[in-house]
Amino acid sequence: MTGLQSMFAPMGPEAALIADLAAVLFVGAAVVLTIVVAALWFAMLGSSAARRGLAAERAVIVGGIVFPIVALAALLAYGLWVMRASVASPAASNAMRIEVTGEQWWWRVAYRDGDGRRIESANEIRIPVGRDVVLTLRSADVIHSFWVPSLAGKVDMIPGRVNTLKIVAKQPGVYRGQCAEYCGGAHALMALEVVALPEAEFASWLAAEGAQATDAAGETERQGRELFLAAGCGACHAIRGTRADGRIGPDLTRVGARRQIAAATLPATRENLARFIVDGQHLKPGNGMPPFRVFSAEELSAVVAYLASLK
Amino acid sequence: MRRILYTALGLAAVGSVGLLLFAWSGLYSVAASRGHWPMVEWVLEFGMENSVETHAPNVTPPRLDDPDLIRLGAGHFLFGCAECHGAPGTEVGLVVRGMLPPPPDLSRRVSAWTDQELFWIVKNGIKYTGMPAWPTLDRDDEVWALIAFLRALPSLDQAAYRALAYGDVPAEPQSGEGVAMSGGASRALGACARCHGAGDRPPLSALVPRLHGQPAEMLVEALRAFAAGERRSGIMEPLAAALSRRAAEEVATYYAGLAPLPPTSTVQAESIGRLAAEGDAAAEIPACISCHDRQALAIYPRLAAQSARYLENRLRVLWYAQPRTPTQSIMVPIARRLSEQQIRDLSAYFAGLPPEQR
Amino acid sequence: MTRAATATGEYPNDLPRPEGELERLEAAWELPKGWRIVTAVNNTVIGYFYIATAFGFFVLAGILALLMRTQLAVPDNTFLGQETYNQIFTMHGTVMMFLFAVPAVEAMGVLLLPQMLGARDLPFPRLGAFAFWAYLIGGLVFFCTLFVGLAPSGGWFMYPPLTSERFSPGVGADFWLLGIGFIEISAIAGAIEIIVGVLRTRAPGMTLDRMPIFAWTMLVFAGMVVFAFPAVILATILLELERAFDWPFFIAERGGDPLLWQHLFWFFGHPEVYIIFLPAAGMVSMIVPAMAQTSMVGHRLIVVALIATGFFSFGLWVHHMFTTGLPALSLGFFSAASMAVSVPSGLQVFAWIATIAAGRLRLTAASLFVLGFLFIFTLGGLTGVMVAMVPFDWQAHDTYFVVAHFHYVLVGGMVFPLLCAFYYWAPAFSRRPLSERMGKSAFWLIFIGFNVAFFPMHISGLIGMPRRVYSYPAGLGWDLPNLISTVGAFIVAAGILVVLADFLRNLRPTLTKSAGDVWKGGTLEWLENHTYGARSVPHVDSREPLWTHPRMSEDVKKGRYYLPGTMTGGRETIVTSPVEAVPQYLMRLPGPGWPHLIAAVFTAAFFLLLTVKAVALALACGGIVIAAMIAWMWSSDPASAGEADIGAGISLPTYVAGPTHPSWWAMVVVLLVAGALYLSYVFGYLYLWTVSPATWPTTPISMPSWPVTCLIVSGVALAAATRLLGSSRLLFALALACGIGALLVGLALDAWTQWQSGLRPSASGYAAMVYANAVLQAQIAGVVTAMGAFTLARLVAGRLDADRRVVFDNLALLWGYAIGEAALGLLLTHGFPRVAG
Repeated sequence: MTGLQSMFAPMGPEAALIADLAAVLFVGAAVVLTIVVAALWFAMLGSSAARRGLAAERAVIVGGIVFPIVALAALLAYGLWVMRASVASPAASNAMRIEVTGEQWWWRVAYRDGDGRRIESANEIRIPVGRDVVLTLRSADVIHSFWVPSLAGKVDMIPGRVNTLKIVAKQPGVYRGQCAEYCGGAHALMALEVVALPEAEFASWLAAEGAQATDAAGETERQGRELFLAAGCGACHAIRGTRADGRIGPDLTRVGARRQIAAATLPATRENLARFIVDGQHLKPGNGMPPFRVFSAEELSAVVAYLASLK
Repeated sequence: MRRILYTALGLAAVGSVGLLLFAWSGLYSVAASRGHWPMVEWVLEFGMENSVETHAPNVTPPRLDDPDLIRLGAGHFLFGCAECHGAPGTEVGLVVRGMLPPPPDLSRRVSAWTDQELFWIVKNGIKYTGMPAWPTLDRDDEVWALIAFLRALPSLDQAAYRALAYGDVPAEPQSGEGVAMSGGASRALGACARCHGAGDRPPLSALVPRLHGQPAEMLVEALRAFAAGERRSGIMEPLAAALSRRAAEEVATYYAGLAPLPPTSTVQAESIGRLAAEGDAAAEIPACISCHDRQALAIYPRLAAQSARYLENRLRVLWYAQPRTPTQSIMVPIARRLSEQQIRDLSAYFAGLPPEQR
Repeated sequence: MTRAATATGEYPNDLPRPEGELERLEAAWELPKGWRIVTAVNNTVIGYFYIATAFGFFVLAGILALLMRTQLAVPDNTFLGQETYNQIFTMHGTVMMFLFAVPAVEAMGVLLLPQMLGARDLPFPRLGAFAFWAYLIGGLVFFCTLFVGLAPSGGWFMYPPLTSERFSPGVGADFWLLGIGFIEISAIAGAIEIIVGVLRTRAPGMTLDRMPIFAWTMLVFAGMVVFAFPAVILATILLELERAFDWPFFIAERGGDPLLWQHLFWFFGHPEVYIIFLPAAGMVSMIVPAMAQTSMVGHRLIVVALIATGFFSFGLWVHHMFTTGLPALSLGFFSAASMAVSVPSGLQVFAWIATIAAGRLRLTAASLFVLGFLFIFTLGGLTGVMVAMVPFDWQAHDTYFVVAHFHYVLVGGMVFPLLCAFYYWAPAFSRRPLSERMGKSAFWLIFIGFNVAFFPMHISGLIGMPRRVYSYPAGLGWDLPNLISTVGAFIVAAGILVVLADFLRNLRPTLTKSAGDVWKGGTLEWLENHTYGARSVPHVDSREPLWTHPRMSEDVKKGRYYLPGTMTGGRETIVTSPVEAVPQYLMRLPGPGWPHLIAAVFTAAFFLLLTVKAVALALACGGIVIAAMIAWMWSSDPASAGEADIGAGISLPTYVAGPTHPSWWAMVVVLLVAGALYLSYVFGYLYLWTVSPATWPTTPISMPSWPVTCLIVSGVALAAATRLLGSSRLLFALALACGIGALLVGLALDAWTQWQSGLRPSASGYAAMVYANAVLQAQIAGVVTAMGAFTLARLVAGRLDADRRVVFDNLALLWGYAIGEAALGLLLTHGFPRVAG
């Protein structure tokens, strides 16, 4: 029962503690259920001695009061210990901080570079393997919930509040997550990926991520950039190094380097980019971006070529 | 009790069969030339009047003595209504006189109706009379313009009417050749300049957009959308539909070549300028100028020095519109994020912006 | 007092009964003929309607579930669109909870309680009928919004800010708030009737200790409704005020807080689960002893467990909020409380097992449903313990694991017992019992289908599938469990179809010729039943009177027990003392009528028209409601008809006032509801302060000396009116008018002072709360004013005097409460800012 988004595939200590707890709970539940079914069986079909024993009020008190209280008290203690071990343990001093803001229906991600400069991205969180990462979770509109099962349990993102979540990835890999609190329309299409990279690789990636957008290389890309700007895309999307500085939609400075688009619901192919520009309302109904059917076919592919070149 | 009920039901059944037989026999004459019997005419009129009274919406009309509204209404009246109803100084055409019922002379009849009743008639038309409905049901603002004009109509003489409806466009061809080639006054009816102005002349009403210096591509697209019924307007749709593709391109090029008109207002609020230039990320309002300045795609309109009243009205229309064209698809969701106050402020802001600035 | 010596062979009344006694009784309780049956008010007819309607909504919401399962059968399906799916899952949850589960158990109470308690009817038949009709009409219109695309899509939990005007424009959310808010009020009306019915209309001798467990569960159920529903009613009022007038209770930027909704909602929402489960458990506790032919083992333990469950269930609402980032300490507390509540349920499970062991369980269809219930509910309880573990919940919360968990608890804990109850009690109300063969096949289909549908959901949730998603991508391992779940859902549907077919074939509701006691049950509902219940009301001296007195059925039928006919010529029932069930009063009951029906129809219309903002029409309907209610109330409180002899030498008064009168008890329950609503408000006020104290004023406005004076005047007038009722009509009227006037003036002055100080409700969460106080006070004051006017009208009409004073007594209770609530409001809105600032 493993999968990209499964709590049974723990890749961080928080998730591992919970997976252990779950195993205890499942075994315990199986035992209790067996006892109850067996008692029922004996009550109906058992020997008269067994039935006399079960029919006494003492059996009710032992089975229905004493046993549950003892078992539940033990369980509660264990649960509280797990809770302390996971939330209450302080983050390491070299912990990395990443701000994640839930918006209908995508994730705004912001890193800080060495100088404290804010580097914005979207829907893909890259983290260094083995280092504590403290996520600062906010919401820009309605309640969302940040959940990457392989790394940790979920924490809600609530307007007016700031929650934090500590995660650590034990090994490099891609961990899928999804919004867990119903947030309206396209709630089902609000996913994200956490990409854990080795420390060195992460550092160079972050340095590149913080730089200005790569310059349009060819004629097509240049034309695409001009169309992007003239069509007003920059009113909502930022591409650092151009006059596109919108803050409404995802930052596109490195959109060409992302694995997925539309909040990890579509692979970042040129075809999907083009479809999203023209027909995003069908791919993800209700999302904030109006359909841009003002481009001719060549113009559209120029815009897409430009976006794909932003690596 | 029960017997009365059955008797009534029986009579009703016999009656309806009888009616059907009568209709089937073809004895009834539908000739317009013969008129109605007085009794029938009275019933029809009575029914019509009560129907209008019942259906008229319970809404507050805009200010109907608004000169811009009256002029816009006049512009449409000339094209859409005068043919049948006549106008000051113009008799009803002979062809129309054969209609049954004959279209009434409005300067005498409108006082009998309330504003709401007139609105309902103009918007929905009247069955079996030849009175058509407004070409679209989505543009109440235009219907009200016509009502405003109708209210002004009884007090207009020929000169005042012509000044309102024609502006500076000559009502009749100047030369004999003109008459020979186009016949009477009909050419002037569809002239863009009657309403939109031309040269350095502004539009006849502040509710009519200034086309001077707008990108030709945008104008052609607008005419195409009107003609195709994708952009809704009871005034523009029939006019645009009558233009050929080539004519549309020609007129668009003409207006695109005109020098933009100077700003109409001087309002320059700092905060609203920021909304126009930077948008409001929290409210998901993008910066207006990203699409509406000189560097934007030519399919987008330029807003600097546009009439404030036109912009306000256009944004409100977009607020309720079902997006059909590519540009509406972009603008409708954005317009819906604007508050009424923002619509007013932004319109005033752009109206005051010198065209060369953006 | 009672000369009830049944044990020695003596009966309260002698045979033969006088000629025509039975005929007069039957005439008094005759049902309206033909389509006029809609004017009927007696509990059996309303009970049938109620259950049929609730089951109808169950089927409708079940169809919605099938649509959802079809959509989710395969990944990336396009059977339902996003918005449609969101509306459907919202409606499925809302309809199942508010239009099926609560009304269904309430309906079982309405149908069974009077028979089980030996009453002729519930104490307020027209109130029950009103509650039913309001629910039917409101519910149908609410459901139909789905067909016109106006249904809410914010989830049954309606979390703001998603459901705020900004993120949910349109009337969908308003339909939820007004429609459901109003159905909650109808549920409260039913609860009032059930509380008073259980406490005051039991057969003589049926002490609390001899009361059937089902009646206990209904009592706890109704008590929980009284305290839990006001919280969500307050929440819906606040959210509707926010949506309609921009009062920012839940808008974080302006000093509101979205979590306030969650606290209020779950303070209702968690008890709601037990509200649904307890009566179902009560039914099981009736059926298991009957099927095993032995008394319930641990009867008193169960009663204690029921009450404990009721209390505990109010202390664990936060376990729905474990992921909101609350402090660990409070998480620990609520985790412990959530586990504690499973103890009383566990106790009941073992008590049922013990009872089965003590007797011999006959394997009938009803027994099968009990066994299925035990298995499924136990499993649901165990997963409940899992999600009560905070860290586990961080993973499981809002996933399909939770969907599986609560379906095990609710379907296992409520639907199985309900089906069981249908098979068990059908013979008491139908000419023919339901078919055992069809019942057993239905059970196996539903039991197997249910587990096939819901067990895999545990797994799909744990491998990452969140709830409330209209679609999911392939390749995450979710495909197979979802496909299996869909297959299971259709198997369940097949089982429900079998049940429906059985209903069609065998269910023949009757009020005269029921199949009768086919299971040899021990409680009074198995007496021969008519519209008036049993012919005579037995004296009860054990928990299973029919087992203790094998001849009771015969004797009751012959009229040997109490009240074998009608004493006053109309409908009547014996009112007994709440604990010992000593007869106190012969209450006359109303018969069929139109006013309550008209009031219900137009109350529904009022709320629904308000939703679509047709204010003028809504107000017109409101006017009709008031007129109908006056017509309805006018005939209540008839004058004394002297003493009535019910047998055994017991002579009961036909008029009483004060705490002996059931309506006094009803009014006290109303005050509890109002008090719970207001306390929820006080919680909300203080809660918002803890979240954003910055919006509270630093310099409070002037002391409310004039409002306080007005309240004192009103209080003095109340005391004066109470004394003057017997002496001077004029002075009484004056005191009444002045006193209520003073209350209104005081409240208006206070609101006016706040307004004059420049405070506007849309300014901040604080300001909104201040004016919300005014709204709540105005509600109560409005009712006091209406009742005051009604009282004066009764005075003028000569229907109110020193003895015939129930109308005034009830007004006095509410009036006194209104003064108290107003004073508390002043203390809160003026005192608290001074203390906190």
